[in-house]
Amino acid sequence: MVVAPKRRVLPVLAWVVLLFLLLPCILVVPVSLTDTDYLAMPEQGLSLRWWHTLFASPEWMVALGQSLGIGLAATAIAVSAGTLCAIGCWRARNRWSALVRALILVPMIVPTVVYALGLFRVYAKVGLLDSFTGVILAHAALALPYPVLTVGAALTNFDPRLEQAARNLGASGWQVLRLVTLPNLKAGILSGAIFAFVVSWDELVVVLFIAGRRVHTLPRQIWSGIRENLDPTIAAVATLLIAVTLLALIPVLRGSRTAPKEA
Amino acid sequence: MSERQPEALLLDGVSKAYGKTWVVDRVSLTIPGGSFFSLLGPSGSGKTTLLMMIAGFVTPDGGSVRLGGRDLTPVPAEKRNFGMVFQGYALFPNMTVGENVAFSLRVRGLGRAERDARARAALDTVHLGGFEDRFPKQLSGGQQQRVALARALVFEPAVLLLDEPLSALDKKLREGLQAELREVQRRIGKTFVCVTHDQDEALSMSDRIAIVRGGRIAQEGEPDDLFENPASHFVADFLGESNFLAGDLTPAAEPGLLRWHAGATGLVQAGQPSQAGPALMALRPSKIAIASGEPCGMPNRLPGIVTGSSYRGTAIHCRVDTPAGPMSVSLPSWRAPFNPEPDQRVWLSWAPDAAVIVTDDRA
Amino acid sequence: MALSAQQRPGLRAALWMLPAVLLLLITYFVPLLDVLTTSVTEPRPGLNNYAGLLTDTGAQRIILTTLRISLTATLIAVGLGYLVAYAMVTGSPRRRVVMFACVMVPFWISILVRTFAWILLLRTEGIVNNGLITLHLIDDPLDMLYSETGVLIGTVHYMVPIAAMTLYGQMEGIDQRLITAARGLGAGPVFAFRTVFLPLSLPGIAAASVLIFIGGIGYFIVPALLGGGKTLMLAEYIGLLITTTVNWGLGTALATVLVAIVLMLLFAVSRLVDIRRAFGST
Repeated sequence: MVVAPKRRVLPVLAWVVLLFLLLPCILVVPVSLTDTDYLAMPEQGLSLRWWHTLFASPEWMVALGQSLGIGLAATAIAVSAGTLCAIGCWRARNRWSALVRALILVPMIVPTVVYALGLFRVYAKVGLLDSFTGVILAHAALALPYPVLTVGAALTNFDPRLEQAARNLGASGWQVLRLVTLPNLKAGILSGAIFAFVVSWDELVVVLFIAGRRVHTLPRQIWSGIRENLDPTIAAVATLLIAVTLLALIPVLRGSRTAPKEA
Repeated sequence: MSERQPEALLLDGVSKAYGKTWVVDRVSLTIPGGSFFSLLGPSGSGKTTLLMMIAGFVTPDGGSVRLGGRDLTPVPAEKRNFGMVFQGYALFPNMTVGENVAFSLRVRGLGRAERDARARAALDTVHLGGFEDRFPKQLSGGQQQRVALARALVFEPAVLLLDEPLSALDKKLREGLQAELREVQRRIGKTFVCVTHDQDEALSMSDRIAIVRGGRIAQEGEPDDLFENPASHFVADFLGESNFLAGDLTPAAEPGLLRWHAGATGLVQAGQPSQAGPALMALRPSKIAIASGEPCGMPNRLPGIVTGSSYRGTAIHCRVDTPAGPMSVSLPSWRAPFNPEPDQRVWLSWAPDAAVIVTDDRA
Repeated sequence: MALSAQQRPGLRAALWMLPAVLLLLITYFVPLLDVLTTSVTEPRPGLNNYAGLLTDTGAQRIILTTLRISLTATLIAVGLGYLVAYAMVTGSPRRRVVMFACVMVPFWISILVRTFAWILLLRTEGIVNNGLITLHLIDDPLDMLYSETGVLIGTVHYMVPIAAMTLYGQMEGIDQRLITAARGLGAGPVFAFRTVFLPLSLPGIAAASVLIFIGGIGYFIVPALLGGGKTLMLAEYIGLLITTTVNWGLGTALATVLVAIVLMLLFAVSRLVDIRRAFGST
């Protein structure tokens, strides 16, 4: 391969940087298994007690369930609307579709806190504050760019003549979509769905503003925990989330090597 | 197999504009039912747009498309019941060969057993029986083309449309498949409309050819008629090779002949007195005789100097400078009368009806 | 002749885009516009809030702090990210895959989790301090958290994976044979890098830096958790204005200013560099 300057120094430096990236994530795991009463590394041995606290705690379990439910719902909306939109943009291929694509990317660029502000006032007026519907819709909007990007990328490898062939053979619009187009976009749809789910699953700022008593997602619970009640249960939650993230990454890593980047 | 005589396909003054350009300009064509009809032309001539209008993917901005008496123009592509073989075959990668072929039957609501049976039969006719469970990417180019054909024919369409079906294949494979396509068409007796830019393909497969240029039909007719009697410079140059001779034609004493001059030599051209005047004549290199000595008895003979020659296997092509300008001559290499060498002095000759008077449409 | 919707592919395609566009317009753009309109209607109609900003030194200080921290973090993160990206691009395929995974994993882990991990590490009773004390390197714990240093570390940690992946995507497009050619012509490895590779990667660095900087000035979670109230950045300040002092006028005005800065920077980048190439895909 190509010779890099300072042949041995460079990779070492790079690994140091990567260690810097990974170390915090790794260190959370032993803390979650600590036998101490406070947030610290294990002193005499490992203990599962904080994990027990986590799974026995109604607040954490409810938060987990809510995040899961909201995530799935928001993902379903974002993926359906986003996939159809990507296909529409690809078929139209004109000025309007370019405009739509630019519009779709706006949620990735505008700082979330600005959106959360406006959402608070608007939701207050229509009575959607502290409602599941409200959060799901907001998360769907934030997640929308990702399926559009991934399906759009998959479409660049999709031969438009396949749709023509299907139509010529007698398929209706719906049949073309179901039997030919969507099956060939499976990878793009799946990675878009995973990204969308992660957006909703990790989302905090919007939830901080528009949710209160009823809606209490996992990030919200972690946020309160960090600010008010710092104990190893949070480390257990963190470890759980890391594990879930790693699991979710496997299909994505197996699929493509470049993922859409967040701003 | 239908017992009825297949209906003729009619294009009546169809036009299509993209922006300010008329990609297809008031084209009228009658495609006889049961014939193998080719749309031949260079890229950008509009031939593919014509095919797409027949298929229903492109809506004409003017004119109509008719099958028999029925106006098909408002009918969407999925309802026209025309088979189509796409450039690149467009086989569905997510389905097996069998599922690809059975697709048209599936969307028409046929049951699984009947679909599979008919798909198998269709694959048998293209000599791919047993390939049902393979995927398209496991097949060679020639095999994919045959699957595409089977898929297009399994639902017994009235017309089969082919968009450059053989362009992705190499020469040997192409010639074999040309013959196969022709044979299939003859056997099932349906109308085939084929778009191609390859004139050899069009000439060998078609019953009739329409030469498309700049959105218009330059000339239409049977292959031998088009080749022997091109109407214009474009057609004469597009189909095979031609030398072009410009001359001022005057009526000769003999009926059916006209005279013109090339330098000091008087030449004779078959034609009517009405064709007198400045004219362009197309003369195929293969119709010119070349000899080292002056031929007697040939009314058209010109002296010349060989400027170059190339061996092409079955023929030898050479360039000769003459008073009428540089000319290309082609002679069979097997038992050629002699081997033209550069700077050699030769005599060219041809019969009065070897050249054809063509309209000068050089823009 | 009359054409049905079926025959006008443009119209049908537009229908496919409709659900997404409607969702976005109603659920996203309406609230966004509401922020703008509120900034000029609360508490009284007019540009008073913006005029007030011109004299509000507290808000100005926060804006400058935000810009400063984001800039510093961006420069560090892009530098570190470039290091990793270059190591990936010049490494064996195996190294590339491993490094890519090492960058992807933190990228995907929730920002809350990562920030929590830094709290774990940097607290006065945290892992780093405990380690340093145990090793007798220091006597009293260092005060690393709840300060600008903490915010900087957390922000850099968030930005590096983004920088690395963006720069890697851009570097992949640089023809490696150019370096080989330079070496073949007698250039040393450092010289070849400096005169051939670096200039070619400059547009990517510029684009990535601006985009990451734009992200940085809008960060909420990291500064809020690691700043400890002492280092206030713009996003958290806006939040406080709304939730604590209920100052909608100033809050939305600042939010609008934030968006305006983002859009102006974006516009500047798009003029200078092709954004799609910087993103590395599509």
